[in-house]
Amino acid sequence: MASCTVHTTPSLRSCCISRPGAKAYSFGFNQRHQQFVFLSSGRRRTVVCSSGEKTVVIGLAADSGCGKSTFMRRLTSVFGGAAEPPKGGNPDSNTLISDTTTVICLDDYHSLDRTGRKEKGVTALDPRANNFDLMYEQVKAIKDGVAVEKPIYNHVTGLLDPPELIKPPKILVIEGLHPMYDSRVRDLLDFSIYLDISNEVKFAWKIQRDMAERGHSLESIKASIEARKPDFDAYIDPQKQYADAVIEVLPTQLIPDDNEGKVLRVRLIMKEGVKHFAPVYLFDEGSTISWIPCGRKLTCSYPGIKFFYSPETYFSNEVSMLEMDGQFDRLDELIYVESHLSNLSTKFYGEVTQQMLKHSDFPGSNNGTGLFQTIVGLKIRDLYEEIVAARAAASVAAAKRAIL
Amino acid sequence: GMALVASATPLELSEKVAESIKNAEETCAGDAASGECAAAWDEVEELSAAASHARDKLKANSDPLDNYCNDNPETDECRTYDD
Repeated sequence: MASCTVHTTPSLRSCCISRPGAKAYSFGFNQRHQQFVFLSSGRRRTVVCSSGEKTVVIGLAADSGCGKSTFMRRLTSVFGGAAEPPKGGNPDSNTLISDTTTVICLDDYHSLDRTGRKEKGVTALDPRANNFDLMYEQVKAIKDGVAVEKPIYNHVTGLLDPPELIKPPKILVIEGLHPMYDSRVRDLLDFSIYLDISNEVKFAWKIQRDMAERGHSLESIKASIEARKPDFDAYIDPQKQYADAVIEVLPTQLIPDDNEGKVLRVRLIMKEGVKHFAPVYLFDEGSTISWIPCGRKLTCSYPGIKFFYSPETYFSNEVSMLEMDGQFDRLDELIYVESHLSNLSTKFYGEVTQQMLKHSDFPGSNNGTGLFQTIVGLKIRDLYEEIVAARAAASVAAAKRAIL
Repeated sequence: GMALVASATPLELSEKVAESIKNAEETCAGDAASGECAAAWDEVEELSAAASHARDKLKANSDPLDNYCNDNPETDECRTYDD
């Protein structure tokens, strides 16, 4: 195909395509807004069609092996339909696609492959191992409705594979170590989430994940966490100050000196004053409340369940914090808890419980990680619908002004 | 039926994990605070995560009837009707 250039036009309803040596022409009034764009980014080329609807972009930050994939499955399930790897492409692609949502893994923007990082003595957590210019350029293009050829970082071989085509979805999720690191990328995000796993829980989770693996021992798991920690603290952890929602996973306080990491205390920290995002609250908005739901209406065995809700300050931002310590024995009784929470952005009574029951086999389904991930999923659906409605209202208003 | 493109097996990855742990221990024997040491343990983490994903994928595709029906949806034991 011949290369095309972009003509930015003030009106949404007209658009031009121009080809070198060909006459520029524009679509009629009833045609859907289309763009064919050719972006050059180094050796990568981008050929495009835009629907004219802007993509809503969500950032999800978390360390490797901390449940991002479970979160993504819960999120895509809220929108309906399952997320799957691109069909017929690279079997080691990190991308997941569903009807509404495309999830891309930011490891694909590594500027240094595994050998390169070894030679330079830098980890993947180090900004020097990542190409933020390309990340910004491509996320911006997708947000503007333009498809891109995104590289693929192959986690098996440690090499950068040939790129794959990413078309603009309704919702783009960028997940990985650095979605909020670069201020240009950060400014593109409509909503951001940080999964903050405490060191104790991280250690317990990695033991569960790796102990059966040949060569691994308690020492090697500990050594790996320790060796990555300076870079994690320097480059990853500070991003949580920018997040609209932080999910903190801590050891339980219900069992003294617990270090199994099975019973968890999970906190959902929600920034106040974020457009299209109304924080969830327990009983009474803005109060400080401690609640033990166990009793006649909710069966709890040892160590029980404890909720806590309060207004707080987080990195000098006003936030609402909702905490759940303990775990559910019977998932269907979650409806009792759900009925005491407000601003859940559910479409019908019991939707949180239904979503949790639907995925009872996912990790975290009997504790606060599953509950809060599901709630954040519903909040993102609400945010998406509000953004789309606001845009539609704005374009109607603009059309009215044009007629008058 | 369509041939599935083979991804790396958990076994292949297990070998790589074990190798990378040995390498990290050797690299860090000299200087545990060096960039090379951190990079070596970061490689262990990356491969361990990949191995865990491969195991999960294998588990997800472990139902023999599901696998058979993906390839043979028209057979008696696989046909489903929406109404």
